[in-house]
Amino acid sequence: MSYDYDDDRTLRERIEANPRPALVWLAGLAVLLALELGRVARAIVYIGSLTRGFLGGAAGVPGTVADNVAGSLGGAAGIVGAAITALLLLAVAAVLIKWLFVPVSLVNRLGLDTGEGRDEIIERGLITVALAVVAALVVFTPVGAALEAAIGWLTDALESAGTIQTLTQRDTIPNQGYRTPGGGWEGTFLGLSPAVAWAIRVFVIYAYSFVVAAWLWKGYEVFREHYREADWTPRDDSINRFRTHYWGIFGLAMVFAFVVMAIFAPSLGPVTAEANLYSPYEYEFQYLEGGELQTVTQGDANLASRSQGGSDNVGPLSYDQYDRWHPAGTNQDGKDLFTFLMYGARTSLVIGLTSIGLATAIASALSMITAYYKGLVDVLTVVASDTIISIPAFLLILLLNVLFAEADHPIMDIYNGGFLLALILAGVYWPGLWRSIRGPSLQVASEEWVDAAKSYGQSPGMTMRKHMSPYILTYIMIYASLMLGAVIIVTAALSFLGLGISPPTPEWGRAVSEGRQYISGSSWHISTIPGIMIVFVVTGFNALGDGIRDAIDPESEAGDASADAAATGGGA
Amino acid sequence: MSQEPVETTFTEPGADEDVMVEVRDLRTYYGGDSMFGGPPVKAVDGVSFDIKRGETLGLVGESGCGKTTLGRTLVQLESATGGEVLFDGTDVTELSGKQLKQWRRNSQIVFQDPDSSLNDRMTVGEIVREPLDVHDVGTPRERRQQVRELLDTVGLQREHYYRYPHQFSGGQRQRIGIARTLTLEPDFIVLDEPVSALDVSVQAEVINLLEDLQEEFGLTYLFIAHDLSVVRHICDRVAVMYLGNIMELGPTEELFADPANPYTHSLLSAIPEPDPTSDSDRITLYGTPPNPRHPPSGCPFSTRCPVRIRPDEFAHLDDELWTAINTLREVLRERERADRTTTDRIRELLGRESRFGTIDGIYEEVFGDVTVPPEVEEPLDEAADHVRAGDEASALEVLFEAFGAVCEAEAPDYYTVGDTDRESFCHRHGDEYRSPAEVLDERHG
Ligand code: SF4
Repeated sequence: MSYDYDDDRTLRERIEANPRPALVWLAGLAVLLALELGRVARAIVYIGSLTRGFLGGAAGVPGTVADNVAGSLGGAAGIVGAAITALLLLAVAAVLIKWLFVPVSLVNRLGLDTGEGRDEIIERGLITVALAVVAALVVFTPVGAALEAAIGWLTDALESAGTIQTLTQRDTIPNQGYRTPGGGWEGTFLGLSPAVAWAIRVFVIYAYSFVVAAWLWKGYEVFREHYREADWTPRDDSINRFRTHYWGIFGLAMVFAFVVMAIFAPSLGPVTAEANLYSPYEYEFQYLEGGELQTVTQGDANLASRSQGGSDNVGPLSYDQYDRWHPAGTNQDGKDLFTFLMYGARTSLVIGLTSIGLATAIASALSMITAYYKGLVDVLTVVASDTIISIPAFLLILLLNVLFAEADHPIMDIYNGGFLLALILAGVYWPGLWRSIRGPSLQVASEEWVDAAKSYGQSPGMTMRKHMSPYILTYIMIYASLMLGAVIIVTAALSFLGLGISPPTPEWGRAVSEGRQYISGSSWHISTIPGIMIVFVVTGFNALGDGIRDAIDPESEAGDASADAAATGGGA
Repeated sequence: MSQEPVETTFTEPGADEDVMVEVRDLRTYYGGDSMFGGPPVKAVDGVSFDIKRGETLGLVGESGCGKTTLGRTLVQLESATGGEVLFDGTDVTELSGKQLKQWRRNSQIVFQDPDSSLNDRMTVGEIVREPLDVHDVGTPRERRQQVRELLDTVGLQREHYYRYPHQFSGGQRQRIGIARTLTLEPDFIVLDEPVSALDVSVQAEVINLLEDLQEEFGLTYLFIAHDLSVVRHICDRVAVMYLGNIMELGPTEELFADPANPYTHSLLSAIPEPDPTSDSDRITLYGTPPNPRHPPSGCPFSTRCPVRIRPDEFAHLDDELWTAINTLREVLRERERADRTTTDRIRELLGRESRFGTIDGIYEEVFGDVTVPPEVEEPLDEAADHVRAGDEASALEVLFEAFGAVCEAEAPDYYTVGDTDRESFCHRHGDEYRSPAEVLDERHG
């Protein structure tokens, strides 16, 4: 019957039937991406190199094991050890791949039914074997070389794309230049003053980011209007509630501003961090003095533009004696504070996202497992989390930080201690998150639809993913965004104490700390501006959390919403 | 009335009776294995019965009697502590892994609360399709078609596939739940109070749907309910459950018209009598159902039974006094179980009143306005002494020795009663005692 096919089409078929809105949206997206092609290409290359580094590291493990074992037990044992390690690594990879990419049961497809419940193991075994074959092909045959060549070619292509100038790049709207004897400016955008050029660039960056965000939202609306099969979903109500939640929207705006700061840090500062903060003596610039052009290094110039109270001061929105523009003034070392703050945002965001991301992953996985199985797992988790919670968080963080710093552990080197800090924060904060979502998890685990899933044989893993995680994730989002604020404060507080992230990596808390002796003088800005930014960002994350909570809280408007819904359902 | 005790607690099916499920001495306890100790909750405490292919077996009882646990154990949502559940000869309590998953296709459950049984973040289509996805039935397109047809079958529309449960009324949601249980084409379905959460106006529709589906697909139902009128309408046979035991089981009409077991009597007397000339009074049960963690010894109903067998020497006592004695025993049982805090103990040692009150206070309360003959006085005083010494167990022992009888001493047998093979779990069907109906008339008539 024809209607059988009308009401049963895949997303692709639905788009084919009515391609216009999708094409319009895609065209818009393409334009937006084209404007930033270089940046996108660079990001891909960067992610690619990270992945390669990681894979290379993993591939090196069997070799390391072989060396170690061979050293103590002899060559043959070394080979065996390497083989076992390699197999183990592949098995772990197989579990991941099965989970992510293989939706069907290979065992059923291949008719390998043992009827003994060993399917999972056989399944993973099969994937491991397949992986091993691929790995062997790559390592021992020309396939590897061909693959290498293909990747190399792709990287080259991307790298050359990466050199394309983009809209938001500093060079597009340069603000660094020197005054000409005639009174104009040389080297800046359209000969405008550095201040104006910089302001235009900041505006362009924010405008671009806003347009991208709006366009992505538009994409969702296009999907919702033209291609989604359900004309109503529970999420629609939440979105509508959020739309009228001005406090939440304020939070979203703050968070958006902060994230853009972190992403576009290199373009937002009037000068790059590399030139002004990290290696100031390796970068020179020109300025006009006594009617003649002089050349000076950033470092030397910084020495003369320090803000240390009294007359030694370059305040916000001013030029220093080398005609460098400082939107937020300079710090006590004469470095540009605004640049410092932009890169500091990046540091905070990276640490915040890493630590809260990890903590969220741990907390949500544990909450589902403990709520589903209860019993011993639950007791153990309670004990573990209570132990961690019983120690004051800040003290624990301090302790661990000092411990690793004293031991000079190599992990301290990653991101100037930032990575370690993120790990510690994750370890300290997951129990709190787990506690906060324990109630909702237990509640959802006791819903009858979880029993129903069990009654038709759904596996515990899938039950957790399909029937529990959607509920838990919305709750965890609320607490995660609240906690992100806390993490930013803790990171700043640690830097304030001279711990956590070591210089020169910019961190807001360090600026607050270093500027506090000048707070009452003319150089008040060094502490005050980063302090205010911390307050705004933390408030922003809290407001966003509040907004999400009110948006998903079924109490807020449950009454008439469900009545309407019932009416729609009943009328059909 | 045949009054012979049945040797086994179940009847061997005749050759012409097609038995689908055989339940044998099934027990489901909760919490017994917890590391915090304490006796387990005996939710189902040794039940045996058969379910015939194509029939609807009703399971009734007050809430907390274990009927839902029994239903959930049959579909292996709870694991049995002991006993067997044989589906076509296979003991499903022993199944695990692949075999269990395969078996689950044959037996499904419809839950009581359609608000809780449907994941409201999924569309109706996804909900109904999930069992098919789990068992990898057909291609995705075939699955979607099948789901649409099922929606049709249960009286919804094919277009409802992409709606969310929120958009439906309670009755429609229950239809969605029913559609989901049908996807795997099971033979046996446990209906756990499928209409009790629904508006009265839609209950009948859903019941009719269930009947139609049974007809169409040849389903076998276990219908759990506390609404007896619904049971009378839909069930072929009924099992009456109390405190984890089946008190009486037999063909619906006969059981309703002529209940044999004292518990069935009291349960049925709770239904408003359509016939005003009927002489049967409402039987009020004293007390609340006992805690299933501490079921009474002997007959499970013995703490509340209106026709409990009394020792001959006290046969002449009036009902008021018996009620008082029962209340006293109930109170002492509670005290025996209650946790005493250290402060309570110290207060007792010092002779002060603890929150439990003194035994004299209790006696005053319970026996205040009944006359207590001397032969009753004597064991009561002895019991009081034990309680003063803080030993409720011995006090209860004394009272049991004096006033207890066979009902509290040993569990009854199943007796075949009536003309069809109806079974009832009560000592009073034995030859040496008068029948429950007779005594009921006397004590409550
Ligand atoms: S055995 Fe005794 S207590 Fe139990 S139902 Fe029969 S008469 Fe009542």
